[in-house]
Amino acid sequence: MNWIIIAVVAISAPVSAQWLKYPTPGIPRTADGKPNMSAPAPRMPDGKPDFSGIWVTADGKYLPNLALDGVEVPFQPWAAALYKERQANHGMGRPSERCLTHGVTDFDALGTPRRFLQTPTMMVIIFEAYNHWRQIFLDGRPLPEVIQPVYLGYSVGHWEGDTLVVDTRGFNDRGWLDDGGHPQTEALHVTERFRRPNFGHIDLQLTIDDPKAYTKPWTVKLSGFNYFADQELMESICENEKDVAHMVGK
Amino acid sequence: MMKWTIFAAVVICAPVSAQWLNYPTPGIPRLPNGKPNLEAPAPKTADGKPDLSGLYDIDNGRLFQDIAADIRPQDFPIQPWAAALAKQREQDMRKDDPYSHCLPPGVPRIDSGNRPFKIIQTPGLIAILYETGYLFRQIFTDGRPLPKDPEPTWLGYSVGKWEGDTLVVDTIGFHDKGWLDGNKGHPQTDALHVTERFRRVNFGHLEIQSTIDDPKAYTKPFTVKQTLHLLADSEILENICNENEKDAPHLVGK
Repeated sequence: MNWIIIAVVAISAPVSAQWLKYPTPGIPRTADGKPNMSAPAPRMPDGKPDFSGIWVTADGKYLPNLALDGVEVPFQPWAAALYKERQANHGMGRPSERCLTHGVTDFDALGTPRRFLQTPTMMVIIFEAYNHWRQIFLDGRPLPEVIQPVYLGYSVGHWEGDTLVVDTRGFNDRGWLDDGGHPQTEALHVTERFRRPNFGHIDLQLTIDDPKAYTKPWTVKLSGFNYFADQELMESICENEKDVAHMVGK
Repeated sequence: MMKWTIFAAVVICAPVSAQWLNYPTPGIPRLPNGKPNLEAPAPKTADGKPDLSGLYDIDNGRLFQDIAADIRPQDFPIQPWAAALAKQREQDMRKDDPYSHCLPPGVPRIDSGNRPFKIIQTPGLIAILYETGYLFRQIFTDGRPLPKDPEPTWLGYSVGKWEGDTLVVDTIGFHDKGWLDGNKGHPQTDALHVTERFRRVNFGHLEIQSTIDDPKAYTKPFTVKQTLHLLADSEILENICNENEKDAPHLVGK
């Protein structure tokens, strides 16, 4: 009798799997075992939407150009000229060619998996690309007085109904908003609006407000993210960098 | 008259938009003078486990430069080839230390960095956000096994389980490019298996005891200990090593 029970248990036990195939515990699934992307979005104990999970960019087409869908970008004249120059040079000089990090807007557009880890006071986003992280404070603190401008800024979030509104300031002027080279300055204020309409998708809208580079704020809707089940982030360190020599301009 | 007085009082009380480097950490035990009470009991999560969440700073980062700093040379179980390699690296003054080239420190070296890290403990997953290298680690506490054939990495693959009040973290899946430390250049190989034992002694103090087991480089496992203190009212910051990197041409060997 014992022998039969042991055999049954052994067959049911999961194979010590590669983490790239390890089933995500506790998610809604359809009858065939696939994640149920149309299921309702889960909620935190306090009723707020829960964005936790691994997500992958639905479509990487916005990385070269946030304004791909045709919004008229209200450039200041110097910024229009700089953008034109960067376009003519095929994006040469962008920070990521030298293993420097992306910023908020280009990480939102970049086709890399990312994990959202949500607690009542904090949203952490960890990116597969670069192994970098963002902290978004949900504890009511104000944006800080910035003495050290950085690539990823300083972020706070608050809820407007089921939408997580994230304000970020404290950017440097070295980052590019996208790989095509939309400029930014230290005056940049980015607003991200995240919504999870169902289990399988996050909608994302960005507002870029940088009065030194643009005459007024402009808003774009990106592709958002799809839930990436039964997967895990892999380490991705920008090393063995060989592209720089090939980045030639016009 | 009255209204003006009230208005002035309100203005004086309103928080100044502060540097996050001195923003008061909400919800921590404090002494009557307002300082954090580092001797308070360690907090627990809803399921009764110790809660390791917090921002920590290393008490003494000597292990970052020499993992064997607290081990007598005659007791350090290094293989002869590894000792020879370490000697050569030491003479070359960290010229080839990956960390000198903005590549990640490995495990447990990254815990000894002189920049703080933040532990965020959630059910099934503990994330550690490091200012050192601006990197994260994930420690899975959801019962999954270590992977059988992992792709070799700088930071490995980590699973954790509780033994009483101690979180025991096993990490494998390293390649041999990492150095266990800086000044001494102690090597590692792809056989490396690190066991970190995290224990939150009280609210303000964390101990990490790490056992390094790499049979290709060391004749037997050896154990080192690091202690850290909670860094209240502060924050971890972005740290992009490659920005304005000017040291590389100055890294000359002997």
